Amino acid sequence: MANKIFDKETLLDLTVNFVPLFIILFFVGVFAVLNPWGGLGDFLSIVAQGLLIIPFIALAILTYISGKAIAGDEKTKTVFPPGQATVPGTPPLTHDEDDGETAELEGDSTAEHADEPAAVESGEPAVVESDETAEEDGETAQIEATESTDGDGDRSA
Amino acid sequence: MAAVNGELALTVLMGLLLVGVAAWLARVENWRSYTPLGSGGVYGGETGQAHHEKPSGLTRWLTTVDHKDIGIMYGLYGVIAFLIGGAMVMVMRAELLDPGATLISNTFYNSLLTSHGITMLFLFGTPIIAAFSNYFIPLLIGADDMAFPRINAIAFWLLPPGALLIWAGFFPIPNLIPAQTAWTMYTPLSAGVGGGNQANAGVDLMLLGLHLTGVSATMGSINFIATIITERAEEVTWANLDIFSWTILTQSGLILFAFPLLGSALLMLVLDRNFGTTFFVNDAGGAILWQHLFWFFGHPEVYILVLPPMGIVSLLIPRFSGRRLFGFKFVVYSTLAIGVLSFGVWAHHMFATGIDPRLRASFMAVSMAIAIPSAVKTFNWMTTMWNGKLRLTTPMLFCIGFVQNFIIGGITGVFLASIPVDLVLHDTYYVVGHFHFIVMGAIAFAGFAAMYYWFPLVSGRMYQRTLGKAHFWLWIVGSNITFFAMVLLGYGGMPRRYATYLPQFATLHQIASLGAFLMVIGGLIWLYNFVVSYFEGPVVTDGDPWNLKEYNLYTGEWEWFDRKLKTTITDGGDEEVATDGGLHGPVGAETADATDSDDSGRAMDANDE
Ligand code: HEM
Ligand SMILES: [Cu+2]
Repeated sequence: MANKIFDKETLLDLTVNFVPLFIILFFVGVFAVLNPWGGLGDFLSIVAQGLLIIPFIALAILTYISGKAIAGDEKTKTVFPPGQATVPGTPPLTHDEDDGETAELEGDSTAEHADEPAAVESGEPAVVESDETAEEDGETAQIEATESTDGDGDRSA
Repeated sequence: MAAVNGELALTVLMGLLLVGVAAWLARVENWRSYTPLGSGGVYGGETGQAHHEKPSGLTRWLTTVDHKDIGIMYGLYGVIAFLIGGAMVMVMRAELLDPGATLISNTFYNSLLTSHGITMLFLFGTPIIAAFSNYFIPLLIGADDMAFPRINAIAFWLLPPGALLIWAGFFPIPNLIPAQTAWTMYTPLSAGVGGGNQANAGVDLMLLGLHLTGVSATMGSINFIATIITERAEEVTWANLDIFSWTILTQSGLILFAFPLLGSALLMLVLDRNFGTTFFVNDAGGAILWQHLFWFFGHPEVYILVLPPMGIVSLLIPRFSGRRLFGFKFVVYSTLAIGVLSFGVWAHHMFATGIDPRLRASFMAVSMAIAIPSAVKTFNWMTTMWNGKLRLTTPMLFCIGFVQNFIIGGITGVFLASIPVDLVLHDTYYVVGHFHFIVMGAIAFAGFAAMYYWFPLVSGRMYQRTLGKAHFWLWIVGSNITFFAMVLLGYGGMPRRYATYLPQFATLHQIASLGAFLMVIGGLIWLYNFVVSYFEGPVVTDGDPWNLKEYNLYTGEWEWFDRKLKTTITDGGDEEVATDGGLHGPVGAETADATDSDDSGRAMDANDE
């Protein structure tokens, strides 16, 4: 079971925590081998090693637990984009997207967009930041905002 | 006989009183039940209209247990504290314009210094984060409210008395002076021993006020842990919990372990000061004991303050880059890693105290290790923006500013974590520059990014974009001028926490004050913008003001907002729309008082491209 959760993808995600773990372990080794202050036996050297080993263990445990919780849910439940699970009609992430979460996958997710409502095409106007606090010349906020939206360079893309 | 009658009458009276209290409590209970629920939930049909059930006026705000109301109160509280803390530091920056003590006395400078730090960290930083987490986490995770709504209210209401106690020394109360201990409250100074004036009761009040804010933060953190773990909607799993909730969960864990320790240490200090205990007496190593206890809390505290802003930035940058967060799970795991490791680095604040070199070396090693997860995040933010469809809206600009400032703040931190470097730079302005790049340049920037981003949701109106951008540019320029000057001052050997200095530091100090002045202008522009826009800004009629749907990045809180708009606005085709159950009147015929034309805003946008 554990092996199924901690497959290659999950371990890859966890590399971010393996790096600090490795750094700490490295210093444990350095202090043990080089022994720069002489005598590993006395109390303060043990404390010094403990100051490395305790965070190491704590981080290892937390990495394991969180990896298990996240990867476990990933494998047993529908995975939506983060924060969007409660939005009705949000398409779940496909396995690929879910694994990589990388830019290319999001870039060409056209297939996924195709079965979405037409909101994308119609460029549904939205109220964006407006220049005016008060509406001028009887224009409604909505109209003004639409103009500002058009001004946004990103729309030209 | 008469006595018996008297007793009987008393009993009856008491009974009546109890019945009255019970009836009153039941009413309070009712108000709670009718609180509009975050996700519609059980009372689905009534959402939106439910505002009518809340008492009106002041009673509503005093009795509310609605997470959104409490979020707003936290926000207001944080903003007020920010203005006060800002005013304090401006007096200090004015004093530092010339080398001598010209404007204020040295002791008053020290009082302001202490209060500025404590105000910004405990009365602005933590509450402004709580504002966003209270308002938005239940909406983001699809919970009806916080797990313990009343504990939530209590936690907030501990804060105003806390602030009054912390500031008490400044009030015109006889024989009470402000604390001058700096925010670190090092003993023996803070123990009130010796010939100084810090045995004054003002210091005790400050310690007790700090204790209250700590209790408040702890209660809040328990609430968030319970809420995020147990109150999530069914479809919100650990695999798709949003990043802001992750950072708040981690932050709450840190608070749970750090703040009770601060509370205990503070009480020990109060006992030392008033009841003759000897926890922190100098000869038994008590001064160093205080530093250990304080920094075991203090270093996690800096991450308590920075993790949620990191979450905000991780949430916002993708929305304005047109794509999902690059390496989302990296960000989650590194957040958790920071959380754990932040408890293993505290003595990097104590390298210069003469603690054993072996211990120093270990703390240096873990401090290096904790820099990795922080650095990973900056790369995630940058790769998310890389080749993205950037929309340089005001919240996005503040997020980018966060990244810029966090990089400088983080890198200066890594240098400080190196023992030989720290022995040179400790207690200089370099340290002040380091942490201001983070607390102002990053944490406050993210806070303002979030305020701009969610302003339409909370107020139902839009702010003025040109003013928002002016605010941003004044801040990014001002903060870099000020804090970079501080870094240079530190290299030059200018010690921190002094009202006076040697003449050779004058120019850099004046430059630092100039930057601070730019930030004040930016802050005033922000204040004007938000106040005016709150009352007169264009009404938001669309539940997607940031056009997130187009990029498939529409999150739960906007969905909630959209539903609220649809259930509240009766006639979508008319401009005469009322929003939010009477909080604002309908949009009447306002006069145009904005001077910036629409075009200039657009031109600015075009330039940004
Ligand atoms: C990248 C990781 C970081 C490292 C390695 C680091 C390292 C350090 C070190 C070694 C000091 C002590 C300097 C001295 O007093 O001589 C210090 C001070 C400080 N740091 Fe950082 N830091 C980091 C990130 C942060 C963050 C994220 C924050 C804030 C949220 C922060 C806030 C502070 C504060 C407030 C102080 C000054 C405390 C005081 O003496 O009043 N640091 N940092
Ligand atoms: Cu630290």
